[in-house]
Amino acid sequence: MKKNGGVSAIAWTIGVVAVWELGALALAKGLRDPMAASKLPLPQDVAATLARNGASLAEAAAVTFSKATIGFAIGAAVGYLLAVLMSVSRTAERIAFPYLIMSQMIPVLGLAPIIFNLVRNMDASRIVIAAYITFFPVAANSLSGFKSVDVEKRQLMHSYAAGLPTTYAKLMLPFSMPYLFAGLKIAAPMSVTASILVDMLGSKGGIGVKLLYSLYGGATDVFWASVLTSAAMGIMSYAFVLAAERICLPWEAAALASAGRAE
Amino acid sequence: MNMPAIDAIARMGSRPVLDAKSIMPSRAAAFPAVSDGVASSSGTAAIGRAVKPLIKVERVSMTYRNGKGQEVAALKDVSLDVKEGEFVSLLGPSGCGKTTLLRIIADLLEPSSGSVRIGGLSPRENRLRQKYGMVFQSPVLFEWRNVRGNVRLPLEIMKVDRGEREKRIDDQLDLVGLESFAASYPSQLSGGMQQRVGIARALAIKPELLLMDEPFSALDEFTREKLNEDLLGIWSRTGKTVVFVTHNISEAVFLSDRVFVLSPHPGRLSSVIDIDLPRPRTCETRETPEFFSLVSKIRKSFEGAYARS
Repeated sequence: MKKNGGVSAIAWTIGVVAVWELGALALAKGLRDPMAASKLPLPQDVAATLARNGASLAEAAAVTFSKATIGFAIGAAVGYLLAVLMSVSRTAERIAFPYLIMSQMIPVLGLAPIIFNLVRNMDASRIVIAAYITFFPVAANSLSGFKSVDVEKRQLMHSYAAGLPTTYAKLMLPFSMPYLFAGLKIAAPMSVTASILVDMLGSKGGIGVKLLYSLYGGATDVFWASVLTSAAMGIMSYAFVLAAERICLPWEAAALASAGRAE
Repeated sequence: MNMPAIDAIARMGSRPVLDAKSIMPSRAAAFPAVSDGVASSSGTAAIGRAVKPLIKVERVSMTYRNGKGQEVAALKDVSLDVKEGEFVSLLGPSGCGKTTLLRIIADLLEPSSGSVRIGGLSPRENRLRQKYGMVFQSPVLFEWRNVRGNVRLPLEIMKVDRGEREKRIDDQLDLVGLESFAASYPSQLSGGMQQRVGIARALAIKPELLLMDEPFSALDEFTREKLNEDLLGIWSRTGKTVVFVTHNISEAVFLSDRVFVLSPHPGRLSSVIDIDLPRPRTCETRETPEFFSLVSKIRKSFEGAYARS
């Protein structure tokens, strides 16, 4: 199964590059579009730009990514704690949940300048916005995990005369892990995107700045290279969460494997 | 060491039986000491101990409101005693309140009226002292713990110290025959094996009472019969008092010393059947005329109950 995954990934990559190449060629040579290079440059040109500007792109990506990661970690912690609190107390859930939903109504594009004006610090703004984006999917998913614990498992803990802290430590927290990771997988690329967005509000560094300057400066090759770098950052963040899930939840892989065998 | 050893030796070959308690009067009477000479002296003491009831259920009723706000009587005026070391079944069709009664004994439900005492304690006191082990209809294993980890769970909660804990896990896995699956996750086991883990986990805390709520009803007939035999082997080696809920007549007859037959609407005790089949019971027991006659006797008592209702 793992082998098949590798094969299909390679097939996908080749397919995408091939379609891209053909599209770009058709645009430039077939339709003779004078704007072809900015509409859809050839993949090899973008690759060359990536190689040429590799160091500066990586540096910019690191600034954005590191802040996104810190914000993601803070947001995940806050979201999970909030979910624990809401699962322990119905009252807490009734008070907090409407605010959680409401928080998602405020567009990040509007919120980011407000945060920046408040903290007057680019790095802090990136972290706050990344955390803000992260905490909702994490809180909502984890809460649904806590609510999915089967009655009989709770009765079993009750039969052992286990108190609330023990019940959480032995049952609720481990049970909610797959749900937590589902939330983390949604949130990870979003936190990167949020961090890029903050870059664009007038930061000095970061991949968002590269995007913005190359777009307005007409450096289409740098723009495309920056877009690819941004995409790679999002994919990387997802891959990190996936790897962490494999390490932290070995029983999930075992369950998948036996389900596959049973079929 | 007394007669349960026969059961165990028959099942386990030459395995030494060290943990069988001397509290099995009916079998001690049915089997005079033939194989091991130590039984005779402890036998009388065992009878003296075993007469006292461990569980006393007196006039227990349970009513609850259904969705329409009507009162439904799940149990009405049920009284029964379970002796120490006895294996009893609560048998009846769905709606007879057998699971409700078990859950009242386990302090997972509170009766509307009546009293339950377990070794002189209320169900709540009994639960808080962690004196019973429970086996549910579904195995209720924690997916994130392997077999060892699942059996370890109650021992962690009870803060049993490490050396003792690991030894007990070994003993229990040995008892249910899952030594070689200690590192497997529940998802990698068959339904029957999962339920064995549930039994090992329930026994790990060395409870005096084992409560089993239709533990084998989700299994196929072959696995069920195998587990029935294994359960008797385990019971004879550990000497627990067992309250076993089932809707399967032949399962109740095969396993029990006594069968409490409950009938539905409202749930009440309709008869108590003594099962005097000799032990150890094996798959041949199921073929004997005595076995069939007990099964049909119970089945008739149901027909009577239904004719009335």
